[in-house]
Amino acid sequence: MRRAPIVITATVAGLIAVLEFHTRPAQVNVGTIPAAGSAAASPATTAPSLGSAGSGASPRPSSSSQPPGGTRTAVGPAVNYNYGVLSVTVTVSRTRITKVGIASLDDGGSPRSQMIDQQAIPILEQEALQAQSASIQGVSGASYTSAGFGQSLQAALHQLGMR
Amino acid sequence: MKPRPAAVARQPVPVVHHLENVMGTIVIIDVYAAADGGAGRPAGDLGRQLAEAVAVLHRADATFSTWRPDSPVSRLRRGEITSAQAPAEVAELLEHCAVARDLSGGWFNPWAMPGGLDPSGYVKGWAAQHALSAFSGGGICGVLVNAAGDIASTGGPADGMPFRVGIADPHTPLRLAAIVELTGTIATSGTYERGDHLIDPHSGRPAARAASASVTGPDLGLADALATAVAVAGEPGLDLIGTIEGYEALIIGPDGSRRWTSRFPIAADRTAPHRPWLPSRCY
Repeated sequence: MRRAPIVITATVAGLIAVLEFHTRPAQVNVGTIPAAGSAAASPATTAPSLGSAGSGASPRPSSSSQPPGGTRTAVGPAVNYNYGVLSVTVTVSRTRITKVGIASLDDGGSPRSQMIDQQAIPILEQEALQAQSASIQGVSGASYTSAGFGQSLQAALHQLGMR
Repeated sequence: MKPRPAAVARQPVPVVHHLENVMGTIVIIDVYAAADGGAGRPAGDLGRQLAEAVAVLHRADATFSTWRPDSPVSRLRRGEITSAQAPAEVAELLEHCAVARDLSGGWFNPWAMPGGLDPSGYVKGWAAQHALSAFSGGGICGVLVNAAGDIASTGGPADGMPFRVGIADPHTPLRLAAIVELTGTIATSGTYERGDHLIDPHSGRPAARAASASVTGPDLGLADALATAVAVAGEPGLDLIGTIEGYEALIIGPDGSRRWTSRFPIAADRTAPHRPWLPSRCY
């Protein structure tokens, strides 16, 4: 009995948010990053590579060689972290970071070793996608807490001329 | 491209989703609007509050970073200045650190780190907590500041709905070990964290008796410090947290086992509907 109003409230809030802020990019843009595969399979000295993080529904520019002010994406080098090797993908619009994700993750050849199907997973959503039914607003403690995440992130931002 | 799961698609959408590159990582600030969409709220108000929150994070980084050679904390570490000569926030933060050290039975101790004073285990949570306090006023249902996995929150994503936060599985990077219905804050520490090693203050050497430890409570600075303490201490750390009013802890052992204090807000079922009687209200 008491649940129905809650659901309606949530839907209305979400709808208003969508209506009023329709220019905000979609949160789950899972796209292919051709360059990420080779980057993740290589040691941490691999040269930074560029790739696309756009989805099929809303294609994004495929490299940082876009006109200034456009949306640009870069993939940082694959670096070691405590459980393997990861690389970070960053999308910026002008000087704002609009998306950060894990471009590749390889935990070292064990059976659960994975490349995330060569998809870029936004950091907020990666575990949500895995958990499927779990509607969550954040994740506490994750690969992106590691020093490796920070290294790959800063390198990707550097490619885009940020800091 | 995989279809987006229906349960995820129905989630409330934040009106502000801001990613800030600060403190060597990404801090995510999400603001969820009340059902009235902020009617009557002055235009630009939210933008100003976001700018203030971001400024708080950068000030904390500039003041407390041990990576920036010119930060007051770095100068303090090198003995170039005394704590009395440092900005007032440094003394304030160190007081908080001393409280956390005592509450944690010494398992969190910024004064016992190799290389000298290192309050980093407190700073990220402290900064996120202060950034959160930049937001106030009508039209906001909830705000969440996620500083690389240390999360400060107020309210929820919709009226009567608490924020739900996953705890990363330390053994399988893309899985969740648990889901928490959050009131306030949660911090998680583990061997995957910055620097890749947790230091045992009692020996000065890397040691972690849990794969990860999560602590919930009203203040993220203290939760951050206590999470570090429990990750180093292991199960005895749980008993310690049980004696601290308002704070709860969950640890994941090296073998994947999970143990938590009696009131840790773990969701019983990942698919369970939100419980309307939880004390989360739009404000």
